[in-house]
Amino acid sequence: MLSPRWRKMRRDASLHKARTVLVVLAVVVGLVGAGALLASWALVRQVTAQTFIASRPVSATLRVDRVDDALLARVRDVPAIAAVRVRRVVPASVDANGRRARAQLFALSDWHARDIGRLKPERGTWPPRDGEIVLEPSSLEFAGAQFGQTVRVSVGDGAPVALPLTGITRDVSLPPGWMDHVVYAFVTPATLAQLGAPVAFNEIQFVVRDTTLDRDAVRRIADEARTRIEQAGGRVTNIAVPIPGEHAHAAQMDSLSLTQGAFALMTLFVCALLVVNLVSAMLAAQTREIGVMKALGGSARQIGALYLGFALAIGTVASLLALPASIAIARPYAAMKLDMLNFPIGDAAIPGWALAIQLVAGCLLPVMAAALPVVRACRLRAADALRDTGIAADGGHLRRRFSLPWISRPLQLSIGNAFRKRQRMLLTVLALAAGGAVFLGADSLRSGVRVSVAQLFAGNRYDVSLRLADGADAARVEAVASAVSGVTGVQALARGTAAVRRDDGLDGDAFTLVGLPPSSTLLAPAILHGRGIAAGDGNVLVVSRSLLKDEPTLRLGGDVELRLADMPVNGRPVNGWPVNDRPTRWRVVGIVDVGPQALAYAPVGALNAARGDERASALLLTTASREPAAQLETILRVRAAFDAVGITVGGSELMSETRRAFEDHLLMVVQFLGVMAWAMIAIGGIGLASTMSLGVLERTREIGIMRALGAPDRAIVSLVQVEGLVVASLAWIVSLLLSMPIGHLLADAFGRVMFTVKMQTLPNASGALAWGVMLAVVSTVACTWPARRAVRLPAARALAYE
Amino acid sequence: MSTNAASTSAPLIVLDKVARTYPGPSGPFHALADIDLEIRRGDFVAVVGASGSGKSTLLNLLGGIDRASGGRIVIDGRDLGAASERALTAWRGRHVGIVFQFFQLLPTLTALENVMLPMDFAGIGSPRERRQRALALLERLRVTDQADKLPASLSGGQQQRVAVARALANDPPILLADEPTGNLDSRTADALLDGLSELVRDGLTIVMVTHEPRAMAHASRAISLADGRLVPEGRADA
Repeated sequence: MLSPRWRKMRRDASLHKARTVLVVLAVVVGLVGAGALLASWALVRQVTAQTFIASRPVSATLRVDRVDDALLARVRDVPAIAAVRVRRVVPASVDANGRRARAQLFALSDWHARDIGRLKPERGTWPPRDGEIVLEPSSLEFAGAQFGQTVRVSVGDGAPVALPLTGITRDVSLPPGWMDHVVYAFVTPATLAQLGAPVAFNEIQFVVRDTTLDRDAVRRIADEARTRIEQAGGRVTNIAVPIPGEHAHAAQMDSLSLTQGAFALMTLFVCALLVVNLVSAMLAAQTREIGVMKALGGSARQIGALYLGFALAIGTVASLLALPASIAIARPYAAMKLDMLNFPIGDAAIPGWALAIQLVAGCLLPVMAAALPVVRACRLRAADALRDTGIAADGGHLRRRFSLPWISRPLQLSIGNAFRKRQRMLLTVLALAAGGAVFLGADSLRSGVRVSVAQLFAGNRYDVSLRLADGADAARVEAVASAVSGVTGVQALARGTAAVRRDDGLDGDAFTLVGLPPSSTLLAPAILHGRGIAAGDGNVLVVSRSLLKDEPTLRLGGDVELRLADMPVNGRPVNGWPVNDRPTRWRVVGIVDVGPQALAYAPVGALNAARGDERASALLLTTASREPAAQLETILRVRAAFDAVGITVGGSELMSETRRAFEDHLLMVVQFLGVMAWAMIAIGGIGLASTMSLGVLERTREIGIMRALGAPDRAIVSLVQVEGLVVASLAWIVSLLLSMPIGHLLADAFGRVMFTVKMQTLPNASGALAWGVMLAVVSTVACTWPARRAVRLPAARALAYE
Repeated sequence: MSTNAASTSAPLIVLDKVARTYPGPSGPFHALADIDLEIRRGDFVAVVGASGSGKSTLLNLLGGIDRASGGRIVIDGRDLGAASERALTAWRGRHVGIVFQFFQLLPTLTALENVMLPMDFAGIGSPRERRQRALALLERLRVTDQADKLPASLSGGQQQRVAVARALANDPPILLADEPTGNLDSRTADALLDGLSELVRDGLTIVMVTHEPRAMAHASRAISLADGRLVPEGRADA
């Protein structure tokens, strides 16, 4: 049998039925959003941990000039190394259904290795047979290919070879092909030979025994392997050590999760504000009843438990309603995120702990939100509670303040009403403003991203970039390209790889080093700090922010030792790494932002001198036409012209496409923030509706008096609607103010992992205006029901209301 | 005025130089000052005085609802000033029944549930026993037929009788009533006062604030307050 006090609470809740439903709805919206994020994060974490770690990801890759059994045995003998495999990676082009795309072909020594870089066949043949090709699934759509069809593959200037696509096999260590605009594929060495590509393995990969080692420790092991290789007569041209246990895109995903988590917390905070409003209103209306219960012997704990129990009931109902919805959203959302990491979601289920946390947090959120007002109300001494005068005395001061001659009486009344319950008004304003601030912050960030991308690409004054398969004389390359119809400007570049020689004697990861003529008109990267390449410069570097992050020893004005790789011939270095045994010394004079790419620019003359090679490996073009179709035609003509003189084009890219892909990549994250803002705006709107309905309830008697004095429906509706608009206007102002720090925090977080965004100080005028209009609509909709209720109140009943 | 044999026993309530002062915009307001009072077990005390004389304040102090600013209040050997708020609430639940001037029944509880509520707070008896006792009290006050109705559908007299039943729910030795007949018609008021007298005969001690002669007539003793001070008892009728 339910005790009388709990029966009281049940009936009190039913008295506040509509408002309680609104608050439950708001909490449901908040929990669905936050719960979906938590569940998707947990699912992504579980799948990546299980799949990635289970795949035994490669700890390091050493590019070598040759591989033989003796050399491999030396590497295997390193005690810290658990497993070794060798492979060949060949850049290629894939043409499927008329769509040509850049490709990387992998040939492995052991297709079935379980202890290193485990691959997961998903469809068809595995391993690839001679004369066939197997694609990585994340590349399939980008390649425009379908399982079972034949694709045309070409390497360098070799003739395209038709290969049947007979299998789909996933390599979770690769970033998604669709994202990197590369088709990843697996072929046998025999197929490589068929394509005219070098077939000898040139990369040694290993997995360390101790998977808890950090990157530097793995680097030391790789260095030991290099020493052994070199002792065996081999030459190591490059060492790549990824962050142990971390996927290539893990940092971006973590930042996305962190940002989302912060917004999930903000959403829950806004929900909590609404609960505070509802419970505070109940407590205010029942202060005298609390006094009576205390007088009857009810302890603060017993009475507090009633209201906290009510909050718990709100949380429980909301959690139970939100859970299925958040599960339904979480799974596809996790699948999308996993797709960005190149992980299949498979039949993985959301971890039970994530659902339990969601359920418990959802139940407890309203309890925690209500705790303070409940404790405050229950601590009131019985005598004070019994003396409570109610709302009648509130807000007089402010109402007097608004008694201005140029404000009409009804408007004064509405403004005064908005300020009668100041704490409630403040919380409602905050709830609405939080959504608006995120909306405006995301809008500013979106503009900032567009402006910053435009600035970033402003220095890229070319339309097409071409990669030459082999180095070629720069002047000759420029002369051939200039003669092609549709080409209006050319610039040959030296483009190679380099690695920073660290203080501990180890080499860092290889990065792209571009030799740039100081007078280049087609490539002038925007300088963040320091200066650009100038005429007469010697060994100076302008480094990208990403490279700075990878190599903490780099600093503006500081010197650095680099080991340079030679220009490739047929996709492989001629003389091996390094050019000579003495690393060259360079001074960092400038910092640029080129997005997530680790890259540096050097004066082409200094770079050529350091390498002892003056050949160009890339070409930038401007075209007469801006149209992508016409530009593609021009590329075909340029390729033909190069073919005619024996220069092979390894690949080409349209600048417009590169920029679009880059911008889309960044805006995807911003887009998500916009969705979160909408959820918060919906919650804020529900909060306003709840607050207005409480106001109408508390002023029932006043409304009755106004009706008795002859106030028409229009006047009553206006009274409520204008009050809502006053609150909305305040929320608009607060959101404008809040959006500035929020926008900058977002930009800062964004810049840390993705791209430096230059934010304007003030929110966009168009965004602010749009948000203002939205707020007016939200306010009008939110006040419709309370206004309707106020109009429908019979005067006699309203006058009798206590 | 009737007398009761029990009033000769040791004092149940002792007030020693009790004062209650409230801060006010124009300085402190002395609601009660220098109150010395003894009430014996079984007394039916009427507290009279003009509006603002401190009657309700005195009642609140006796019920532990409010705290004295000075002096001591000892009830049945317990110094109310030394008790914590929590202890005072628990003590009040078991030792004092309160009847408010405007009934103050909880509007969302039925008459029966209102009477069960103090037992619920004090944890007295099982739910079934609470219900039986509440029904018995309502029967004694002749409102059993209203047991399942909400207060809003009861008349003033019925509400006041339910309020008395609620005050008696935990079988307290003391009943404090603040103008219990103030909102009742004369017939209903008489019936209620008869009921209270009957309770006094059963050993209950009642302190009742009133300014109605009819009510004073039922009391065994009247104390008068004027401007927060006790008027000597010999002058109570003056």
